[in-house]
Amino acid sequence: MRDMIKMVVVLTAITAVSSLALSYINDATRAAREYQLLKYVKEPSIKAVFAKLDYNNDPIKDRITLKLGKEGKTIFPAKKDGHIIAVAYDAAAAGYHGEIEVMVGIKPDGTLAGIGIMRHSETPGLGARVAEPSFTEQFRNAKPPVKLSSEGGTINGISGATISSKGVITAVNEALKLFPEVKKEVFKP
Amino acid sequence: MSFAKEFSKGLWKEIPPFRLVLGLCPTLAVTTAAQNGLGMGLATTFVLVGSNIIVSLLRNIIPSKVRIASYIVIIATFVVIVELVMQAYFYPLYKVLGIFIPLIVVNCIVLGRAEAFASKNGVALSLADGLGIGLGFTMALTFLGGVREIFGKGTLFGHALMGASFEPLSFLVKAPGAFLCLGVILALMNVISDR
Repeated sequence: MRDMIKMVVVLTAITAVSSLALSYINDATRAAREYQLLKYVKEPSIKAVFAKLDYNNDPIKDRITLKLGKEGKTIFPAKKDGHIIAVAYDAAAAGYHGEIEVMVGIKPDGTLAGIGIMRHSETPGLGARVAEPSFTEQFRNAKPPVKLSSEGGTINGISGATISSKGVITAVNEALKLFPEVKKEVFKP
Repeated sequence: MSFAKEFSKGLWKEIPPFRLVLGLCPTLAVTTAAQNGLGMGLATTFVLVGSNIIVSLLRNIIPSKVRIASYIVIIATFVVIVELVMQAYFYPLYKVLGIFIPLIVVNCIVLGRAEAFASKNGVALSLADGLGIGLGFTMALTFLGGVREIFGKGTLFGHALMGASFEPLSFLVKAPGAFLCLGVILALMNVISDR
């Protein structure tokens, strides 16, 4: 009986100390881990989005989390000497296979700074070409609302991949729809 | 049984993957480049040293019926620490090593040292044992990764080593190359120690 109690007590004590140590380290590294994740997952597309802008901050370090509706939204601002000259945030829409995640950069006047495709699972060689510069560069400095040229807009879709092209456009328009609210919060006087 | 002896046995006489042929899962899987081998080896060394010290400290307290469970909890704690720290500060390496970091928990080298050595010896000797075996493992992985990287990619730690005319044997970087290199190294070590 005494052995039994000792077993239970020792094992409980070990697990308790272990969880205490781990929760402490989890808290201590949380900020650094979030930063690394954003840096390696989102930074490439953020750089693509802001490529033509003259900014001199680290958009990931200066990220702002806004409460829009129920969810929080992370906004990455591009700043020049402390003034925000554009913001970027992500949006997603259905493509041909699953969701296409797009990083959308918007300037204060509501025109697009640019877009970058973060993640997609479109058909290689066909829908996947939405991630190529020849497609994404068309969004640089485009004025909303963006539309495919077949629908009277300015964006030339990728032939044979209309659904993928439309997915990107839907995502961009989703992001633009949020912009008035983002603008109210971010570009406060 | 001296500190130096316990430390140095892991470097040649009992170097884990080559002499004991233990821990082959990470040995074969992550050694596609010298840097990956080094990172994996150092992560394992940290876990080995940490778990050896704690197991040795608690060796008279842990009842023998629950010792394996206790060792696994202690080892898993150190593994999660490594994983979190690596994710926070060495993200690219963390991505490359992926699942093999959490799998250190079930690495038979770590549990083997806890059971066979740390649970029977004092703290200083256990520290020497963990450090020696860990560094031996690191050396072995870095060496194997280096060999595969040099002949498979023509680079070492990412620096170009071979001239432009060098045609890399790229299959050495793939899975069969790992077995081949390991086999050749084991054979060479047998030849050397038979003399």
